[in-house]
Amino acid sequence: MKKRKVNPVAKLFVKLLGNEKYQVFTIPMFAILLSLIVGAAVIAALGKDPVSAYLNLLQGCGIWPKAKYAGGKSMMTDFFSFMNYWTPMIFASLAVAVALKAGLFNIGVSGQMLAAGFVSTVLIGYSSLAAPIAKPLVVIVAIIVGGMVGALIGWLKYKFNINEVVSSIMINYIIQYVVAFLINTKYVDPVSRQSANVSDASRLTLMSTQIGGFKYDIPLGIVLAVIVALIIQFVFDKTTFGYEIKAVGLNRKAAHYAGINVGRKMVVAMLISGALSGLAGATYYLGYFCSIQPKVLAATGFDSIAVALLGNSNPLGILLSSFLISIMGKGKTYMSSSAGLDAEIASVITGLILLFSACGAFIQYLVKRSKENIADIERANKAEVDK
Amino acid sequence: MLDKIIIDGLSFGLPLFVMAIGGIYSERSGITNLALEGLQGAGAFVGALVAFFMMQSLGANSQLPYYAAMLFAMLGGMLYAMLHGLLCVKFKADQVISGVVINILAMALTEFLTKVVNRVAFGKPSNKFELGVSQRWTVPGLSEIPVIGAFFKDIYPFEVIIIVVAVIAWYVLYRTKFGLHLRACGDNPHAVDAAGIDVAKIRFIAVMVSGALSGLAGMSFAYSISANYSSGIYVGYGYLSIAALIFGNWKIVPTLGACMLFGFANSAGHQVVKAAGLPSSYSDLIMILPYVLTMLLLVFFSKHNDAPKALGEIYDKGKR
Repeated sequence: MKKRKVNPVAKLFVKLLGNEKYQVFTIPMFAILLSLIVGAAVIAALGKDPVSAYLNLLQGCGIWPKAKYAGGKSMMTDFFSFMNYWTPMIFASLAVAVALKAGLFNIGVSGQMLAAGFVSTVLIGYSSLAAPIAKPLVVIVAIIVGGMVGALIGWLKYKFNINEVVSSIMINYIIQYVVAFLINTKYVDPVSRQSANVSDASRLTLMSTQIGGFKYDIPLGIVLAVIVALIIQFVFDKTTFGYEIKAVGLNRKAAHYAGINVGRKMVVAMLISGALSGLAGATYYLGYFCSIQPKVLAATGFDSIAVALLGNSNPLGILLSSFLISIMGKGKTYMSSSAGLDAEIASVITGLILLFSACGAFIQYLVKRSKENIADIERANKAEVDK
Repeated sequence: MLDKIIIDGLSFGLPLFVMAIGGIYSERSGITNLALEGLQGAGAFVGALVAFFMMQSLGANSQLPYYAAMLFAMLGGMLYAMLHGLLCVKFKADQVISGVVINILAMALTEFLTKVVNRVAFGKPSNKFELGVSQRWTVPGLSEIPVIGAFFKDIYPFEVIIIVVAVIAWYVLYRTKFGLHLRACGDNPHAVDAAGIDVAKIRFIAVMVSGALSGLAGMSFAYSISANYSSGIYVGYGYLSIAALIFGNWKIVPTLGACMLFGFANSAGHQVVKAAGLPSSYSDLIMILPYVLTMLLLVFFSKHNDAPKALGEIYDKGKR
């Protein structure tokens, strides 16, 4: 019998991705790498240098040094504005993830963000409260408003069996139009056609703060975001409450038989999810921005679904995935101005990353199959030698 | 005024309806389809691209680009939907994830390509294709009847196409063997498989149908509401039609009711604001009517709302 050869590509593939223990990490990394390669091909096809385009993305986020900086700016300036952009994305993705753990799909994050952002803007942002009182109040109001909207969706599901996807979408529209109406009739800035700017005291980002000769936009929310992510990780890994939510998400009937109050758990999960969306709204509308554009829902709310899924609904995973996706979102402006590429190419690459990541299960299956294949061939070859 | 409500309500509700039928095909076969939003945009992009090129050579007065756009929007939507089918059926990806990703990718790709095509082919920096508004038809005689006549007045040609397509879609889903198999795939794929029918193939076809119908809807929106193709097409009508089909309990006729409710409540709101002489910002407040109405109706009718039993489940032949 002829000795069969093992395909070296398959072997490398298995060697890199074959270890099941690390697959949670290696397979998304592989998917990301694959999409960056495809993205590079597209950029090259447009006649530009992909490596420098990718570096531009990092430079725009202050992760890689630019050739020169304007006065009062440094790499850290860029990194702080990147964190300012990143913060709402973390909260929004955590919101999606918490709902997903309970088996619910919160597609209404952007509506909850808007409701929370708007109420905080009107109640606190337009008040003359001093910063030490105003900032915590913004956070609290946003949590309450977001949580209430979220809980309403959960309650409608529990009480009337209304599909949460439908109610979230309806509530998104209702919030969007009511807020647009209120802004246009009462709070509009006639020049910008947006809501009037909130006070600096209430804003969760300290804009243009001078430290050591450089200016920084310091997002206070990022600290809170990381803490919240860690708390959620702890709650789901180590507490009965977290375990019960996960049980409801995995199998509602089984959870019910185990004596868990399924309806209440769903409402509470949506309450938490909404509260997190509220935080996303506060850091978006009273942090990264300082006003609200009427009749527009933040794309963050929809992108966060994909980010949460890319991070495997795991808070630490989400910190990583939101970091990556935010680089694309924030860095594209600099890339477009310095490489002369359309900023949209960054969004295309983001889409590709998400697309390839969605195929994670298939990649895993391919790896498993080629692993078995290789093992078969090697066993056959060994048997041949032994004969 | 009543005439106007009916005319505008139909031109908004019917595209929603045909997109929702697409969603019903996909979901009744067991594939969750949150991708409608992306499918309608991607389909309309292809249609608009074809129409835009044809308009350059045929001139603005020809009606040919309009019908070509409808056809190619369906083809484009179908083609793009294959990606969703591939991910959900072949690659066994999570269907919710796939749907959301397809939407994000569609927005990014079409926005990017619109800019590139405009720059490369026409040498101008533009992020949209100007299409103009579609012509309108009025049926002589019938349109003279009071009230009901409005249904025959100022009709967009796409409304006729949609009604024809909807009737065919209804017939196929409920009166043919294929439709029976499709519906069975969503409730009990194992039984379908045991009967010797290819579940994967049926589901794939169902997703492609949803792409084609969404493309038609997207193109209709582009020709009526915006008169151009741009990223402005992604305003959430795809999600709205998903809401309509869930509200319609995954059945075609009740879904028509839901879409008409959205359509008429929407146009009635605009007319009320106009008639009362209120400033235009008040129309925003009126715009919430269809959604509030839907929520109220759902409170009463959701108890018996049942999704197809195998919806969203990845079908694995070996698993029982």
